[in-house]
Amino acid sequence: MSAQVTVPKTVTLRRKHVWTGTRSIAEAVKIADVDVIAAYPIRPYTGIMNDLARMVADGEFRAEIIVADSEHSQFEIAKHASAVGARTFVGSSGVGLAYATEAICVTALGQLPVVAVAGCRALDDPGNFGMEWNDVFLFRDVGWLVSWAKDPQEALDMTLVAYRVAEDHRVLLPHFIAIDGAAITHVSTPVEPPAKESVTEFLPPYRPPYPLDPAYGPVTKAQHIAPSLIGPEQRKLVDVATKNSREVIQEAWKDYTRYVGRQYSPFIETTLMDDADIALVSMGAYTKDAIYAARKLRERGIKAGVVRLRYWRPFPAEELREALLDAKAIGVVDFSYSMGSPDHAGAFFNDVRSTLYESNSKPPLVDFIFAGGREPTVRHFEEAICIVQESTRTKKVSKITHWLTLRGKDA
Amino acid sequence: MSSPIKSVRDVPAIDYYTSGRRTCAGCGPAITYRLLSKAAGANTVFLGPTSCMYVANGHQYLTSPYAVPWSHTQLGGGGAAGVGTAAAFRALMTKGKRKNEDINVIVYGGDGGFADIGFAGLSMAMGYDYKRLLFVLNDNESYANTGIQASSTTPWGATTTFTPSGKVKKIGNIRLKKNVALTMAAHPGVKYVATSTMHPPLDFMNKVRKALDAGGPSFIEVLTPCPKGWFFDPKHTVNFAKLALDTRAWVSWEYADGEFSLTYKPGKITPVKEYLKLQGRFAHLTEKQIDEIQRMIDEEWKYWEEMNQEKRIILPWISAPIPAVAALP
Repeated sequence: MSAQVTVPKTVTLRRKHVWTGTRSIAEAVKIADVDVIAAYPIRPYTGIMNDLARMVADGEFRAEIIVADSEHSQFEIAKHASAVGARTFVGSSGVGLAYATEAICVTALGQLPVVAVAGCRALDDPGNFGMEWNDVFLFRDVGWLVSWAKDPQEALDMTLVAYRVAEDHRVLLPHFIAIDGAAITHVSTPVEPPAKESVTEFLPPYRPPYPLDPAYGPVTKAQHIAPSLIGPEQRKLVDVATKNSREVIQEAWKDYTRYVGRQYSPFIETTLMDDADIALVSMGAYTKDAIYAARKLRERGIKAGVVRLRYWRPFPAEELREALLDAKAIGVVDFSYSMGSPDHAGAFFNDVRSTLYESNSKPPLVDFIFAGGREPTVRHFEEAICIVQESTRTKKVSKITHWLTLRGKDA
Repeated sequence: MSSPIKSVRDVPAIDYYTSGRRTCAGCGPAITYRLLSKAAGANTVFLGPTSCMYVANGHQYLTSPYAVPWSHTQLGGGGAAGVGTAAAFRALMTKGKRKNEDINVIVYGGDGGFADIGFAGLSMAMGYDYKRLLFVLNDNESYANTGIQASSTTPWGATTTFTPSGKVKKIGNIRLKKNVALTMAAHPGVKYVATSTMHPPLDFMNKVRKALDAGGPSFIEVLTPCPKGWFFDPKHTVNFAKLALDTRAWVSWEYADGEFSLTYKPGKITPVKEYLKLQGRFAHLTEKQIDEIQRMIDEEWKYWEEMNQEKRIILPWISAPIPAVAALP
């Protein structure tokens, strides 16, 4: 009798894959039936484009894939394809995003619903494959919506939701999905993609209000204006669109649960916060490590919890204030820096702090900066919680900004 | 496919680039825009990288001269804008999301936009296979919109605000004019490349039609005299086009299906001095320097004639001009 391997039938019950973050997003782009994709290589986001190019070459779906000459061209291609009425996808990392800055700004201020992935990476110089948030943070002020995924599954879900939110006529803004470089881009986890049919209703075809297409008559887009004439009014349109996006995001995640099944709280995810004295606030993949550290320290009697922002723009200020209402002291897990800013803290920290200025409790706040791409470990998050705990005991923050992964003196 | 225009009487009456703009009197780029719109017709999308043809065509009263869809693109975004727009139409048509039809995508950029900051993007576009995708460079030989600064197509010896004629450095611009159209012809995928100007009157319009019908990306560089930047009386704009050809300061040619031909040969060659002396930007040049320009034109012209004879492109090579800065004592 020959040896045979019996495959248990139960494996096929749920269609789960083990995918990296880049592959998961590529699958979402395919499900969304994107029309125009513009690619240019830079680590760590590149894998998405590799996957998409293979999918189109194999006939898995149809799209125009443009191999651009630069990130600037990449984002310009997506912007103009979107103006015609195509659903578009683009992305970059680190200095690639910096190179495309001009095109990225005009896409938002021209209100074109391009969806892009930012695979977070440290800015040069020196060249560095490590993870920092400063590349995405270059675009915090111009009207891009930014959601921040914690794992490949959420990256896939956020991509589909991004199209729905961006293309809604109450919004019409471009949308970044930020994924932490390496920690999500290159890490494989189980992912369950939705069936294409379930997404068809959730995500109707993109219908721009004024397509740049002779079939719809002449339109003049982004013409030069006299600032005195409509300058402030035009900016206000973008401001109102970002405000409107809050409601649209909430609707979209509700509908996503209805059609696809997975459930998320739209803006904020809280863990162990019910009775927490100490809260760590963060975004992205390392939130998991922070949660692990909080659980460990609870064994030692420190009541720590973790708050994760799922959106950075629009910034969920109300939800964050509410989540932190009972916290006695707060630490911010910050992969950004803002050289020369108030207290030489991070850009993320400064957003959290300005949010809490309006809070009744005004708890002590400490910033933990993980700059330069050296990967933190659970030990760093435990140390962070202990530093925050110390401030509740002394009732004051002796040092606002800590660089925990730094070797040598934290000057 | 569109037919060639045989006489001025056959020129389409409808303009898709009309009133509602505030370009200078005698603006060369505006005149060629109008001709371009006539030749291309209604089923056209225009894209405009930042230039005079952006800032002067809209602005103060929220008016727009465009009777077809038009969008701005960033100064260096011309190539990408054309590709993105053409890609969107092809994707929507092949996926059945839009009716299938011929749509012209025309990017009308300046020399700053195409010869300098957007050169790489334009080159990228030339590698693709989008039909009816045309790039028109309106070459007024400077960044005119920002107050006349030198670009890489500014001719040798011209003064601009970045290359003034000074007490020590008298010459003005020391770079030789880049031949953008030849660099575009070096792209194997490009179907049609030409240069033109406003003279003879039908030349540019017919080249536009040929380019759109060529079956792939195409490029036309059109010399557009600029009264403001060249310092001449606005009534002379069109005369300058003819004078540029007759002095051979500008050479009109086309490269179609791998074959080169001169499309204008002056009946009687006019000395370049006649062209230079009417322009304030060359007013500082000495007789010796004008002779030097004449020498360079004569040297280069031999190559153009040879190309015309051989029907293929040969890179013109001219010996270096006299030093721009006098040797210090």
